[in-house]
Amino acid sequence: MWLLQRVTAAFLVVVLAFHFFLLHFYHHAFEITLMGTQTRMQDVGYFATMWLFLVTATFHGVNGVYNALVNQGISGTPKTAVKAILGLAGLLLVAQGTRVALYMNGFLA
Amino acid sequence: MSTQVPETETEAETEAEPAGESHQERRMADKAARREYRESEKKAEAELRAAEESVHLKVFRYDPEVEDKQEPRFDDFYVPYTKGMTVLDALMYARDHYDSSLTFRHSCRQAVCGSDAMFVNGRQRLCCKTQLSEMAEPVRIEPLPHQDVVKDLVVDMEHFYDQMHAVEPYFQSEDVPTEEQRQSRENREKIKMSTRCIWCGACMSSCNIAAGDNEYLGPAAINKAYRFYMDEREDEEELKEHRLRILEQEHGVWRCQTQFSCTEVCPKDIPLTEHIQELKREAVKNNLKFW
Amino acid sequence: MSQSYNRGLVEDFGRWKEFSAGMWAWIFHKFTGWVLVGYLFTHIAVLSTAIPAQQGEMVTNSAGEQVDVYTNTLTLLESTFVVRLLEVGLLAVAVFHILNGIRLLLVDLGIGLESQDKTFYASLVLTGAIVIASVPTFMAGIGGA
Repeated sequence: MWLLQRVTAAFLVVVLAFHFFLLHFYHHAFEITLMGTQTRMQDVGYFATMWLFLVTATFHGVNGVYNALVNQGISGTPKTAVKAILGLAGLLLVAQGTRVALYMNGFLA
Repeated sequence: MSTQVPETETEAETEAEPAGESHQERRMADKAARREYRESEKKAEAELRAAEESVHLKVFRYDPEVEDKQEPRFDDFYVPYTKGMTVLDALMYARDHYDSSLTFRHSCRQAVCGSDAMFVNGRQRLCCKTQLSEMAEPVRIEPLPHQDVVKDLVVDMEHFYDQMHAVEPYFQSEDVPTEEQRQSRENREKIKMSTRCIWCGACMSSCNIAAGDNEYLGPAAINKAYRFYMDEREDEEELKEHRLRILEQEHGVWRCQTQFSCTEVCPKDIPLTEHIQELKREAVKNNLKFW
Repeated sequence: MSQSYNRGLVEDFGRWKEFSAGMWAWIFHKFTGWVLVGYLFTHIAVLSTAIPAQQGEMVTNSAGEQVDVYTNTLTLLESTFVVRLLEVGLLAVAVFHILNGIRLLLVDLGIGLESQDKTFYASLVLTGAIVIASVPTFMAGIGGA
């Protein structure tokens, strides 16, 4: 888990920087249209990167929150509950994100 | 242990068996003690006037067994300053001249026994190793944070000792060595810093995570484990595995968030965070080996 | 210790300003982490408007034109000043989290342990510089342009 958190961190550093540059400096955020998003998403490489971005970010974020709570000294039933809720939230986020992405590239209509 | 403990014990004894000595004798003894005390106070006043400099101490006071000390408060003491005086020296002066009930632990006075770690001016420090001249006035002296206060500056160290013992700080090779066990110079250098721990508890008290998570082993215990894990004289694979298993529990090395608080307060300059990080990497390597 | 005797004000007094660099780094990292997780969820929620948009749902925007929901939502959000301000905040939070994250990765690898406080200050300064430098980009096209 610890190692995974570091590996995802390293990956996220690169992709997040890329994401920011692309959508704020290259394309301006206020000029985003459905057309543009669709065009980008149709590129398999971009789509794959964005999907990986989603999964790693979710893992890194959810695991980070979990660790923060463990550091506060949580244990027993609340801990199990937190684990379940965070896991569920993470899964839902990935599912919804994937659905959105698939709509965006026109795979689902 | 505190020098005050025997005194409180004798007090308790006199209360428990009043028939032991006659009423008059006891009154005489009390009177003599009071006289002696008044004299030492007078002497202190004279010394204070004679001294070129004096130091203002604000000392935390609390005693659950004495009615007017149940509410924590700070007492002020003015101590004549002499060159080279440490915080511990000042505390001892205050105890000997102003208030004999002022309680704190001290023993060797040379940073070896590790009994006088306290919270001085907002930081965990070893009082006998802290020069008064380096402290801003008033010098605030409090017991170590995140530990139960027993009385005044004395905290309950039991939990700290439990964590220290949890990492099994002893060699446990099964076979009795037939000849002298030699250690290479390189290995000695490797564990040198980790062997310097004096169990003062400053690191544990400074650690944010240990404050929140009671089960966390804490920097001192992990450093202790490092000292044995890295020692080449205990080289059985199973033992190394065993030590790692203790360390990589949920409340072991993974709880360290590299805040460096422990490393900064350690009076023996042990690179605690570095040692914890090294053990984390060892644990990762070990787990990858299994996959 | 969680069940330790409560020393009241005496325990807490002035403690926060005694924090060392490493502690501040940890607190900031944690705080920015929470913010980023929160953002991740809302981000996906906003982008979810792409689904009805893809199915051809159109709305009338402020100018009276027919546009799809996705484009409309994003344009609308991006045209408010508050959102722009929040975005700059987000950038600051993200950049700090990235830089301090790199610092933590190095610490994990056992590099630069002696200068951990300096690298923390460096990441703070760098965050400030990057954020200020990118304010024009973020504010571009807001005043009706």
